[in-house]
Amino acid sequence: MLLQIVSALGVVFAAVIACSAYFYFSNKILDMALPVKDGDIRAASRNLNRRALVRPWLFIGPALFLLVVYLVYPVVATFILSFYDRAGLQFVGLANYKWALGDREFRQSIFNNILWLAVVPAACTFFGLVIAVMTDRIWWGNIAKSIVFMPMAISFVGASVIWKFIYEYRGGNDVQIGLLNAIVQTFGGTPEVWISIPFWNNFFLMIILIWIQTGFAMVILSAALRGIPEETIEAAVIDGANGWQIFWRIMVPQIWGSIAVVWTTITILVLKVFDIVLTMTNGQWQTMVLANLMFDWMFRGGGDSGRSAVIAIIIMLAVTPIMVWNVRRANRELKGH
Amino acid sequence: MKKSFLMGVAVAALFAGAASAAELKFAPGQDAKFNWKSYDEFKAAHADLKGQPLTIFGPWRGEDEAFFMSVLAYFTEATGIDAKYSSSENYEQQIVIDTQAGSPPNIAVLPQPGLLADLASKGFLTPLGDDNSKWIKDNYGAGDSWVGYGTYKGKDGKEAFYAFPYKADVKSLVWYVPENFEEAGYKIPTTMEELHALTDQIVKDGGVPWCIGLGSGGATGWPATDWVEDIMLRMQPPEAYDKWTTNELKFTDPAVVAAIDEFGKFAKNAKYVDGGVAAVASTDFRDSPKGLFAVPPKCYMHHQASFIPSFFPEGTKLGQDADFFYMPTFASHPELGKPVLGAGTLVSIAKDSKTARAFIDFLKTPIAHEVWMAQSSFLTPYKSVSTEAYANPQMKKEGDILTSATTFRFDGSDLMPGKIGAGAFWTGMVDFVGGKSAEEAAGEIQSAWDGIK
Repeated sequence: MLLQIVSALGVVFAAVIACSAYFYFSNKILDMALPVKDGDIRAASRNLNRRALVRPWLFIGPALFLLVVYLVYPVVATFILSFYDRAGLQFVGLANYKWALGDREFRQSIFNNILWLAVVPAACTFFGLVIAVMTDRIWWGNIAKSIVFMPMAISFVGASVIWKFIYEYRGGNDVQIGLLNAIVQTFGGTPEVWISIPFWNNFFLMIILIWIQTGFAMVILSAALRGIPEETIEAAVIDGANGWQIFWRIMVPQIWGSIAVVWTTITILVLKVFDIVLTMTNGQWQTMVLANLMFDWMFRGGGDSGRSAVIAIIIMLAVTPIMVWNVRRANRELKGH
Repeated sequence: MKKSFLMGVAVAALFAGAASAAELKFAPGQDAKFNWKSYDEFKAAHADLKGQPLTIFGPWRGEDEAFFMSVLAYFTEATGIDAKYSSSENYEQQIVIDTQAGSPPNIAVLPQPGLLADLASKGFLTPLGDDNSKWIKDNYGAGDSWVGYGTYKGKDGKEAFYAFPYKADVKSLVWYVPENFEEAGYKIPTTMEELHALTDQIVKDGGVPWCIGLGSGGATGWPATDWVEDIMLRMQPPEAYDKWTTNELKFTDPAVVAAIDEFGKFAKNAKYVDGGVAAVASTDFRDSPKGLFAVPPKCYMHHQASFIPSFFPEGTKLGQDADFFYMPTFASHPELGKPVLGAGTLVSIAKDSKTARAFIDFLKTPIAHEVWMAQSSFLTPYKSVSTEAYANPQMKKEGDILTSATTFRFDGSDLMPGKIGAGAFWTGMVDFVGGKSAEEAAGEIQSAWDGIK
């Protein structure tokens, strides 16, 4: 343990030195290669211009290189792998894509992902907004906010374990240790094995993500609400608007940008949802989602890199438009200010 | 700065050295039930590897990890090899990552021949050589079948011996509490027909005969595959079983569907299982046997492999508080003899080295088996070990079942391709218990099998 810590510290130290050295010396070399001497004014100004052209690339270079190595290359490699067989040796054309379209489990995953997309971002944003508005008006609002925000600090796996106990089922005449079943039993109902009820179990899993993410939506939207100029609300009050109208006609339009950010961020998160499903059901009882299916094909029983690559590509294709839209909107907003 | 850094490294190295020289559980040469001669011979033959590294990756965690470490201590003590053991809850995924990433451990220990065959076909394993396969054949009970389970096709398409069996489990066991049986006046069934009759008798007496729990997190469903395999061996000849594991015999074949249905007779009858049918799929397999020990008992019988006493309540004395009987065979199928379903871990070399070869050699010494046998949860088909070393008479009884079986077959789901044996089969069993018919569940498993090339 001590050895690991010492070597980790050593690596960090060496890396910092190496980085500083890179920037210092590459700068030095640039200055030497393109000298600015007093004698020839024209050459000096030309060299100055050239330096200005090269310098940004020197500084951005390492980051760009790492981006290519860790992001662009894997995407390209995955794309190429998706046309090869399970061991990645033989070219099979579109066979893997054809398989995906015909596979029952794949279609089930697509259906479940769409279900998640339809429910989770909307629910998180809705609850986040409602809580943000309501907690602004009560004295214990900040306490309430902290409590709502707290699940954000828990890992997805940790949260799933907590909820596993909420959905826990004990058979027959045993005392129910699961909160939900205990409540159901108290009111005279029959306990259920919640996570094995097909279709509906998807929603029980979604609740976990909603529980985690509502805090995030609440924080962003609460900040946005604070940014609304008092005057517009006062004007609306003077004009005789009721609370409902103030909320929908004055507040929501003014924070529309923030709502979009929250919505799209959670949408991307949902497309990648993996940990919760793995921990709770591992895709059994028809709860499979794309990310789990990909993991399953890649890592179970030696793995099939072709098929898992196809699923990875499909997840990426699904995420990309939302990312592009998000970045564009952010750029537009930056220009506007 | 540099000086203090080096000092830190030196101090750390000192500690690491101290940690690897672990204590030996049983002092060499003292207890006569151990084969100390084999240990001394091994020590003498491998003295030249001091300080060389060896990485071992395996499935043993928790208690088993501690047991394995105690065995490994003898290896490191004898050779001076710097052996490091690591494990993962998701070992079947981890080993794929490690081998594909080009950083495999020297030794990979896996309980799945199917997965090992897959790794071998991609060229990730090193053949162990004919000497070792011959050694297994000569020294293990049912040696031929063990050699078969370690022989796969390599990247070049040629068959070779890749995996050395070490540590076995017997699965064809039904656990019960002798006291409960005595009180109710039940007798150990010797045929499947009697088992059915006993099951009905218990219900008639107002009890619940079985505890069945299929829950195992992401692996939920596997205990049911053991049931079906055990039943399969009792209804079909071993050749049919072998064909089934390679899908020559389809899942939709009436023989397989009948075996699934036979399991359903126990698991899908609300009166037969503790907690009702809904509890079967959701109860964790580790919690399930606890019903045997409840007062009054929640159930009388529990079908599970030889490892399950690890999950019995603390202080349970085997043979006294809990015992097992051999899962009986059908009186209507006397030609099938006494089949035993089992499993085991297989040791293979993923990155060749002298130290890895030395470790394989170590596994051939009786002492590598006896040290674990003497503690708990270890059975071996190795005929030259002194069975006196078994920790209790129950384990000795299990060891006898293992070595004297007329038919020994490996856990079928571990032989099937990972996507089936560690996926579709599990899911299919969960769906079956959840209400689907045996035909439907089998049909889905078969279509999943058709889907892989």
